[in-house]
Amino acid sequence: MADQPVFTLNVDQNKYLPLDGREVHAILTVGSTGGATVQAAPSAEAAEVIIIDTSGSMSGSKIREARQAAATAVRTLRDGVYFAVIAGTESARVVFPGGHANLVKASPATRAEAERAISRLTAHGGTAMGEWLKLAGHLLTAHPSAIRHALLMTDGQNNERPEVFASVLAGWSGKFVADCLGVGDDWVPAELRKVAEALLGTFDFVRNQGDLPEYFRRLTQTSMSKTVADLSLRVWVPQTARLKFVKQVSPTLLDLTGKRTDVNPLTGDYPTGSWGAEEREYHICVEVPPGQVGQEIRAGWVKLVRPDTQETVASGNVLAQWTDDLAQSTRINRKVAHYTGQAELHELIQEGLNARSVGDVDTATARLAKARQIATDSGREDTARLLERVVEVDPATGTARLRRNVDKADEIELDTGSVRTSRLRKEGN
Amino acid sequence: MICPVCEAPVVAGDTYCEACGHALGAPTCSSCGAAAVDAEGYCERCGLRQPTGRDHAEIVLPGGAAAVTDKGLRRSRNEDAVSLLETGGTVVTVVCDGVGSSPRADEASAVAVETAGAALARGLPQEEAFELAGRAVAKLATSLDDAPACTYVSAAVARDGRVTLGWAGDTRAYLLPGGSLLTEDDVVETGEITAWLGADAGDVDLHLRAFTPERPGMLLVCSDGLWRYLDGYAFPATGTPIEMAREMLRHALDSGGQDNVTIVLIPLGESHG
Repeated sequence: MADQPVFTLNVDQNKYLPLDGREVHAILTVGSTGGATVQAAPSAEAAEVIIIDTSGSMSGSKIREARQAAATAVRTLRDGVYFAVIAGTESARVVFPGGHANLVKASPATRAEAERAISRLTAHGGTAMGEWLKLAGHLLTAHPSAIRHALLMTDGQNNERPEVFASVLAGWSGKFVADCLGVGDDWVPAELRKVAEALLGTFDFVRNQGDLPEYFRRLTQTSMSKTVADLSLRVWVPQTARLKFVKQVSPTLLDLTGKRTDVNPLTGDYPTGSWGAEEREYHICVEVPPGQVGQEIRAGWVKLVRPDTQETVASGNVLAQWTDDLAQSTRINRKVAHYTGQAELHELIQEGLNARSVGDVDTATARLAKARQIATDSGREDTARLLERVVEVDPATGTARLRRNVDKADEIELDTGSVRTSRLRKEGN
Repeated sequence: MICPVCEAPVVAGDTYCEACGHALGAPTCSSCGAAAVDAEGYCERCGLRQPTGRDHAEIVLPGGAAAVTDKGLRRSRNEDAVSLLETGGTVVTVVCDGVGSSPRADEASAVAVETAGAALARGLPQEEAFELAGRAVAKLATSLDDAPACTYVSAAVARDGRVTLGWAGDTRAYLLPGGSLLTEDDVVETGEITAWLGADAGDVDLHLRAFTPERPGMLLVCSDGLWRYLDGYAFPATGTPIEMAREMLRHALDSGGQDNVTIVLIPLGESHG
């Protein structure tokens, strides 16, 4: 039995509220050592499904790169990991293992067989991502105690009815984690964003097809390094308070507010997916009833819980204390301010790109120019550079103007990348 | 009967709620009335941090020496602590002020005054009493990042009138009626203290002072909740020590009561019995 990973939970906040203060904000930093011995392979059971878009639009060089990428992912699987490969069109088909719809253990023999099956993939047909995820979900749920992960790669738009797609995502939310990759400039970030949000994964834009195998290798390896299958953030707030939101804010923005499962009237669980050696940050906001000077309350009691054993692996208090000392109540916690800014940046980019696509030039210009400013100020150089290609700002007058010819790939990269956040720089920089 | 936290039905006599695991029979919240105060002192229904029962306390010794401690007007609880004892004609007092930026500072000050007070009453020297108190406070820490801390001042007034003082931090002693300061604060210019008791304190040297007062008067030992308001203050000149201490407390509260206030008055050179 490998050593259990050690979890830590730190709370960053300014607990002081002015007399009329009702909102308590805190950033929770959750860290995991991933297991005490770093070199040893994690012993946790893992289940992996690789999903390749084989619709007609993938023909030519794309399907060649996709085959290579899938083969790379298969080679990255360590011995003993349960896996399967799915080819996705308007329906979903298990291309490996053949014959029966079960995952098989990775071994030199099964990996070679899977690679042969992948090399025979051809591109034709439509795109129905819900079908692909449904099949992956069925395969993965046969391994309830494993770290369940799917890797989805696509180049096109989903042809399913939105409500059909949405109901698949809702049904499988929290049952496994899926990371998505989009290639080419013909896919819609909003669709993969929905998958990432529902299935607690990431989604990324692979700008150069040639990089696809490297993305596959990295995502597979990250998934292999997970040591804990499921953890919930269990949040208690006082009876008279209201939990306004729970969001993951680092490394990416992910709103968990709607994913609550009630534990009791005061307490709810929010899924966080699987964990390896990593650090994530969460922003919670609690609306508290009015208080009196000097009174202190626990506005939130946060625990990291293993749903299978109900074991609490870390916990922390979010406090509120009312004061008439303005020096105390107006002090802004730097981490809270930073991530509030990162969330605003994401919203500005999304609103700006939406406004731009519907021809609302004024809104688009205003949002994107402001986003550019925040990106520059908060050290998001990559985002600032992409925004620079979409909106130009006259350095002398400050007047902003949308650029006419924007590379579609730049736009997609900006759109997909806006969920990523920067870490707070150390004081003094 | 229902669980005060999750409101699921519970059976009388049960120790835990079957539904949410809440420990039944917990202390009652002073605000919402739920039997749901947890070990950390927070109500598990309304969240309120409970008053610690130290909000206001007074001690008066048969010899007249008196102590008052009060949470003041702006703090949620009293993190000052005081012990005042008499043994074999020697009056002993210890005042500690919990460091506000440390966790469970109220526990630090409580354990420090109890440990050091008992040690001094047994006749141990100032340094040893301080050492024991330091160890007791350090034991409260679960790590260097979770280290309760407090300041420290102690005084022993022997039957022959000899006064010994020991201190670390910014808790003070004054000589009345003149009001001359007997201690020197361990603080830097910006106001942060540089010495305290706690696991994260490092090696702290206790300041020591011993003297025999030349004329009758009063030894005042107090926390910064009082001395921050002493600039230009005319100390009360009449009354028993407890009456004078209460008057000084009223002055601190009237001046704003920003911090916890602790005041000890020990008669010097004459009996106030």
